[in-house]
Amino acid sequence: MDKENQYLPYKMRIAKKTMEAPNIQTYRLEFADPTDAETFTFKAGQFAEYGVLGEGECTFCIASSHLRKGYIECTFRSTGRVTKALANCEENDLITLRGPFGNTFPIEDWYGKNVVFVTGGIALPPLRCVIQTLLDQREKFGDISIYYGAKSVEDLTYKEELKAWKERDDVNLFVTVDPGGETPEWDGLIGFVPTILEQNLPKSENAIAIIAGPPILIKMGMPILSKCGFPNDKIFTTLENRMKCGVGKCGHCTVGKTYVCKDGPVFTYEEVLEMPLEY
Amino acid sequence: MIGFKEALTKQPVPCFIENASEIEQLIYTKDCKNNLSVYLHKPEVKQAKKIGLLANIATLRALVQLISENQFWDIELTVITVNDKDEVLVFANMEEVEAYVQANFPDYTEEETKLLEYLESLSREERWKYWTDQFASCIKCYACHAVCPMCYCPQCTVECNQPQWIKLSAQTTGNLEWHTMRAMHLAGRCINCGECGRICPVGIPVHLLTVKMNQDLFKEFGTRSGFALKGDYALNNFKPEDKEGFIK
Amino acid sequence: MEIKTITTENIPTFFNNLVKSGKIVLAPVLKQSGKVFFEPVQSYDQVSTDYIQTAFSAKSVVFPKVEELFSYVRKDGDFTITSNLTDVPETVVWGLRPCDSSAFNYLTDFFLKENPDAYYKVRKEHTTLIAVSCAKADAACFCTSVGLTPGSTTGSDILLTVMGDVYYAEISTEKGKAVLDPTLFIDSPEKSKDEYLAKVETKFSMDQIKERIENAYESAEWKHESMGCFGCGACAFSCPTCTCFDIQDEGTTESGKRLRCWDACGLGPFTKHASGHNPRPNQTARRRQRLMHKFKYSVENLGVVSCVGCGRCIRVCPAHLNIFENILNVTKA
Repeated sequence: MDKENQYLPYKMRIAKKTMEAPNIQTYRLEFADPTDAETFTFKAGQFAEYGVLGEGECTFCIASSHLRKGYIECTFRSTGRVTKALANCEENDLITLRGPFGNTFPIEDWYGKNVVFVTGGIALPPLRCVIQTLLDQREKFGDISIYYGAKSVEDLTYKEELKAWKERDDVNLFVTVDPGGETPEWDGLIGFVPTILEQNLPKSENAIAIIAGPPILIKMGMPILSKCGFPNDKIFTTLENRMKCGVGKCGHCTVGKTYVCKDGPVFTYEEVLEMPLEY
Repeated sequence: MIGFKEALTKQPVPCFIENASEIEQLIYTKDCKNNLSVYLHKPEVKQAKKIGLLANIATLRALVQLISENQFWDIELTVITVNDKDEVLVFANMEEVEAYVQANFPDYTEEETKLLEYLESLSREERWKYWTDQFASCIKCYACHAVCPMCYCPQCTVECNQPQWIKLSAQTTGNLEWHTMRAMHLAGRCINCGECGRICPVGIPVHLLTVKMNQDLFKEFGTRSGFALKGDYALNNFKPEDKEGFIK
Repeated sequence: MEIKTITTENIPTFFNNLVKSGKIVLAPVLKQSGKVFFEPVQSYDQVSTDYIQTAFSAKSVVFPKVEELFSYVRKDGDFTITSNLTDVPETVVWGLRPCDSSAFNYLTDFFLKENPDAYYKVRKEHTTLIAVSCAKADAACFCTSVGLTPGSTTGSDILLTVMGDVYYAEISTEKGKAVLDPTLFIDSPEKSKDEYLAKVETKFSMDQIKERIENAYESAEWKHESMGCFGCGACAFSCPTCTCFDIQDEGTTESGKRLRCWDACGLGPFTKHASGHNPRPNQTARRRQRLMHKFKYSVENLGVVSCVGCGRCIRVCPAHLNIFENILNVTKA
């Protein structure tokens, strides 16, 4: 991407395509130009605009850790025109990328603290970046707890990675599916994410919470975190809104005076409470 | 009650009255050109259930056409007009509106007739140039679509992006596509209030496209929009006596 | 600031020399529809002088209604992207009103302060603004309510004020100095413009609005004030400070362009997610966004109200919605 012109994209090759769940895929992308691979840097929380020439661009968080060099990953559900066109691409196809945009999770402030993740469904990808970043420097952080659920076993994303996290003894993992979403082989938890959270309350002392997901999860999960004693400025979330330019100009993502693309997408719950409900 | 009031800038503007105390602000002059029937599609207005509408003659035609298209079954509508003797008429039902409309079915204005005659006098190439020149300056604000009472599709063709039937950028070809598509969807339904052309911020006489189509439909099929409560929409019915001379 | 005068007689010569110098000169032209638009002209006799305001602003000089961001060609599994920002012509905009030239200051802050926009930057660099102050105003004008006057020099390279048989010229920038013809302009002492300017009644106190708008989001008046709004883009597109845009790809998988086109927050699908969820699901929410943005969010983000009181939105609105009437009603004590 041209430093002078943020509308000119990088050329990215799809190195690996993994189907995570029905209509949800992960792309591992490599820079077609090796010098771009050297100079591109990003931090957890940032997003990019991924595009198919002739169709348009769409926005997803970068779902891999910045400490893993040589590639970036994104995970998305094919819903609309551009995501469907992206989903139709194959390994070795070229797509465009503009970024990184947005602010970051203040991970350096969390050294020595316990970190709690509460998320569901397709909202795990933006947090997976943070989880990977933490696990890549595990010794710097206290307890790490992850509460994750999906509608059914089939809808869980990063199934292999969830297995790997489960096998670690330095991660408290609670994976659940909605009642009725289990299979006969399922040996994980059954219940909505807020219910599982309620049954396994995290400790708020010296801790940070990150919650992201569909509105119902936020609505039910946030009060539980508050009840555990997490103050609003220690609860983080990542917001989504319709985006086009990614740099705070086109106006599509505004919530009050805030541009989700440049002032976010990472916000504390305290900041979210000050915004009008337009996201 | 939907009517007109005088704005701070002295022009008549649509107004929405919810309390009897506000009735005093209602005015009616020949400058009250807005077709207020378009507001009857708005969810915030429909919430009221019982609605009074001050209609000019074009709006009355619009109401007749919309009723013939099965709109407004879910609201209780009282229609009021002011005739050219400045008498306020309150219609008891839509049949009375229909009778009034049929008795006062107007011709086109002098300006419209002149412009239509001019356009018809041009060769096909000249006419194409006229419209492409006009549409080069269209800005795709969709004001023409917004003021039209016949444009009530909850999702317009232009909002579909799988595929993007009509290009969104305001360039000549895409603009032509938009206006042609709209004219086709309005052919035989447009009631010639002229609002789309009047309010176009760029000054394009877009209403002439549908006016011409209506004239052609009357010539070919004898149908008129806004004329009868049980409308006869030429483009979606077939009669054995329909002429087929255009098939060559 | 330099102050000079030029005789009214010499204005056509000055103007025609600008055209002859090879610059594109945009000036107000009266069209058949009776509306006045900025168009490229070849000589001063095409310029309209007897009007209050043009139908559209001059923002399309720096922010065109359709801008090609780049073109692309795909071949053999690879693609090439070409962007051309080098052939932007030198342009002079003649006959802006002071409200319009002030709007350019807002546009420059918006596009360049943070994440500078390469396209705006190059176009603005190649544009000279020669404004003409207002001798007449109409009921839709309200520049004096937003901190401007019919004779403000804000944002212009040169401001001309007609004073009988001379034009009084206030030259604020090097760009303005560069286009002056020394044989036609002579130095002048400072003079008062007041008697030559329109009288524009203030409709509200900006300080009072800024204070009251803090709590206006929840006002019950929004529904009533937005009832007449159809949700078209006429106000946003005619507005000199509206900057929202869409990005659209047009072409095939083999070749095409990525375009930036004007968009408006008043249009329904503006905020609609691919999932179908729309954070501003009704016209009340959308109209509120427009007014809150102009009078509150711009102040919070860039320190200025982004409305310049030109009145175009009032004149162009099919429902004659009145922005200053609306703002007064939603901020009633």
